[in-house]
Amino acid sequence: MSMTDVVGILVTTITLGSIYGLVAIGMTLIYGTLRILDMSQGSMVMAGSFIAWGVMAVAGWNPVIAILLAFAGTFVLGTLTQLVSVQPLLSRRNVVDFEMITFITTFAVALVFTNVALQVFGPYQKNVTPVISGGINIYNGVNLSYQALTMALVSVALMVGLGVFLARTRWGMAIRAVAQDLDAARLMGIPIGKLYPLTMGLASALAGIGGVFLGGLYFASPQAGDLPLLEALIVVIFGGLGSLPGTIYAAYAIGLIQGTAEIFVGTTWSLPILYGVILIVLIARPHGLLGKPAEARL
Amino acid sequence: MLEVTGLRAGYRDTTVIRDLSLAVTAGEVAVLVGPNGHGKTTLLRAISGLAKPAAGRVLLDGEEVQGWPPERVSLRGLVHVPQGDGLFPEMTVEENLLMGAFPAASWRGRRKELARVYDLFPRVRAMSGQRARTLSGGERRLTALGRALVRPTKIMLIDEPSLGLAPVAIDAVYAAIADLKAAGTTILLVEENFTHVGGIADTVHVLEMGAIVRTGGFEDLSQDESVVETYLGRLT
Amino acid sequence: MTRAPMSRLQPALAAVLVLTIAVFPLDHPTQYWLSVFVTAMILLLLNISWNFILGVAGVWNFGQLAIYGLGGYGAGLLMLHSPLPPWLAVLGGALGGAVISVLIAVPTLRLYGIYTSLLTFAFAEVIQYVILNDGTGLTGGSAGFPTAPGLFSALSPDAAMNAYYWTILVVVVLAMAAVAAITRSRLGMALRAVRDAPAYAAARGVSPLRLRMVAFAISGFLAGLAGALYLSFNQSISPSAMGLPPMSVDVTMFVIGGLGTMYGPLVGTALVTIVQTALVTHPGVQQTILGVFLLIVVVFVPGGLVGLVARTWRRVAEWADEDDDDEEEAADAAQQEGAEQHVA
Repeated sequence: MSMTDVVGILVTTITLGSIYGLVAIGMTLIYGTLRILDMSQGSMVMAGSFIAWGVMAVAGWNPVIAILLAFAGTFVLGTLTQLVSVQPLLSRRNVVDFEMITFITTFAVALVFTNVALQVFGPYQKNVTPVISGGINIYNGVNLSYQALTMALVSVALMVGLGVFLARTRWGMAIRAVAQDLDAARLMGIPIGKLYPLTMGLASALAGIGGVFLGGLYFASPQAGDLPLLEALIVVIFGGLGSLPGTIYAAYAIGLIQGTAEIFVGTTWSLPILYGVILIVLIARPHGLLGKPAEARL
Repeated sequence: MLEVTGLRAGYRDTTVIRDLSLAVTAGEVAVLVGPNGHGKTTLLRAISGLAKPAAGRVLLDGEEVQGWPPERVSLRGLVHVPQGDGLFPEMTVEENLLMGAFPAASWRGRRKELARVYDLFPRVRAMSGQRARTLSGGERRLTALGRALVRPTKIMLIDEPSLGLAPVAIDAVYAAIADLKAAGTTILLVEENFTHVGGIADTVHVLEMGAIVRTGGFEDLSQDESVVETYLGRLT
Repeated sequence: MTRAPMSRLQPALAAVLVLTIAVFPLDHPTQYWLSVFVTAMILLLLNISWNFILGVAGVWNFGQLAIYGLGGYGAGLLMLHSPLPPWLAVLGGALGGAVISVLIAVPTLRLYGIYTSLLTFAFAEVIQYVILNDGTGLTGGSAGFPTAPGLFSALSPDAAMNAYYWTILVVVVLAMAAVAAITRSRLGMALRAVRDAPAYAAARGVSPLRLRMVAFAISGFLAGLAGALYLSFNQSISPSAMGLPPMSVDVTMFVIGGLGTMYGPLVGTALVTIVQTALVTHPGVQQTILGVFLLIVVVFVPGGLVGLVARTWRRVAEWADEDDDDEEEAADAAQQEGAEQHVA
């Protein structure tokens, strides 16, 4: 394995890891507070890509506006999704198999989003202008695009920002409280009727920003949410559902595994190999690397 | 301050509390005793909103609050310290106290309130940076009590503060509760047996089979042989 | 009394339904309509299998489509590359489905429900991905499987269509009866015990390990069979039979009907097929409507449509029997509720 390979793996790790991280931390945030698996996260990535396309390629505005609008737009979509597909079921959460039912309802929402997008935008891919174009040759032919680099930086910034939000702000701490003990949190006066939609909106917005960058790296299409969803699921399985730090480690670990696999067996087989690795990890540690669903550690 | 009339509450298919009525006046420390499983915790949960009563009324300071979600009831000045203290395990003591001040009005003045509670309970200040899950039982109860005080409280519901604690810790917890009483806090306290409450109880209610069967002062009830035998064993 | 008419009625209604469907081809309908029916019946078989593992056994298996697909590809490979007659190839596909299903069961045993859903879902995606990118020509990759003879290649197209129609009808009826019988059996009761109250079941000595394997094997067999029949009927299969869109449709079918109930898959498959056929010219709208429908049903109508009908029927029956002893009626109603919710 040559130095070129190593650098290549490093680049892939950082690029993929950041994508996975952005989409997956949203999922972990939602699971930690609502105890549901949000299958509509992939749709939020897709929505972000389309917003970016609309803002940059169609209206010709600058990327910062795209990012802001994507954040706002997917925040709203996420909130709506929660209100429609999760909130009405909360009163029955002890009677029905809440986790499974919400898996299905958020899945239904994703289905609706995909098909609406199909109707509105048509089935063909749209090219999304990258936030920053160009790239540099960092080592012996290994190309690092500025888009990927920016995305990595933005991802890290967002993750840090999320961490600060959760640690120091009123609503951030409230989110952690709800994740750790719902009844006690309610007794503190924390209004879960507002907190739940807020959490889902926030998580969706993070995915939406991911979509802005992903769109530039690849393209925007109605099915473009499927792969990020799958990847996010793999990351959260691996890292443990309740744990934010676990999710971040897992995201980069999986980026690393996938990068290594790509060098040795090519892109086609990297996904199945990834799946195989995860299978093995799960057999050894059924809760993933760091997760204990019963004790969320946001 | 608190008036409960004809309350009926339970879980799914079981009715635990049937036709329970109870009143607590302002400034009073009322103690609820009774065997386990007869509805003491259910009553507190029905009052604070964690459980929805099937029938009956709960009046807090004259306002009907039965069936309200706990977020709303707590904003009216009712603080419920649940069984097992309900601290947030991964948060530090200080973060837990801050969460007690979540409502908007309290949040603004939170630093001041925090300082006040720290003055009241110096032991809590000493632990302020520790994660709640690393504390001992007694320390956790103290923290929970402190957290209950971080905002204006009309009435405190405390569920079995001595549960699982060593005698020394129990003394510390009840000393703290005595301080609260001295400050004029209205308290509804639940205990399985009432050995420790002698110093602080103004009224004692006995809850059996989901209804109040006896009410009286601590002195009266501790003279009553049937009560004493059930809850204290033979006094030597 | 309230109970007797209902349970006397059920088999009678079922028989009438089966007969009606059976004589349909004699009316010389168009190939199009026959094909719609056959496709619907194949999906019904798939949904019965999925409903069994998800609804009755309570296992969060969201990868059933991979078994379905692999059953189809397996049967196809056997038809093309082995000397086995087509019938045995189909059976081979079904058995392959059972085996793969059991293999998936193993890692899921130690996992929480939600991890199982992730794992099985990811499994389905990965399988589809692998087949899509298969350049070896074995599965045909994204172009689809090369043409396979199917079961009735010796007959004329019309006769073959009828043959498929009746064969699959018989298979579906047998499958439904078998699943109903299994669910009512001790095995079925044990599965439902593990689903509803795992701690209690464990305390009673019910072994979840063995049970889960059996449940996976049964549902895997039926799903593989459905896939093999799909391959035979269409003489080909492609990865698009296994992706998210068909998964959404299938999940919608048995959830709308009623998860865990006996007639749920039937009602759901029928309903969705009607919607799909009516809107066949507008596929996008079709999917959107189905998604919305799914959302509404899951959120507002627990127990699906079958549950709704059962509750309405019970209320009607109670109203009709108002003179009868109240207590006896309540007991019957409770028993019925238990029967309707969990019988499958």
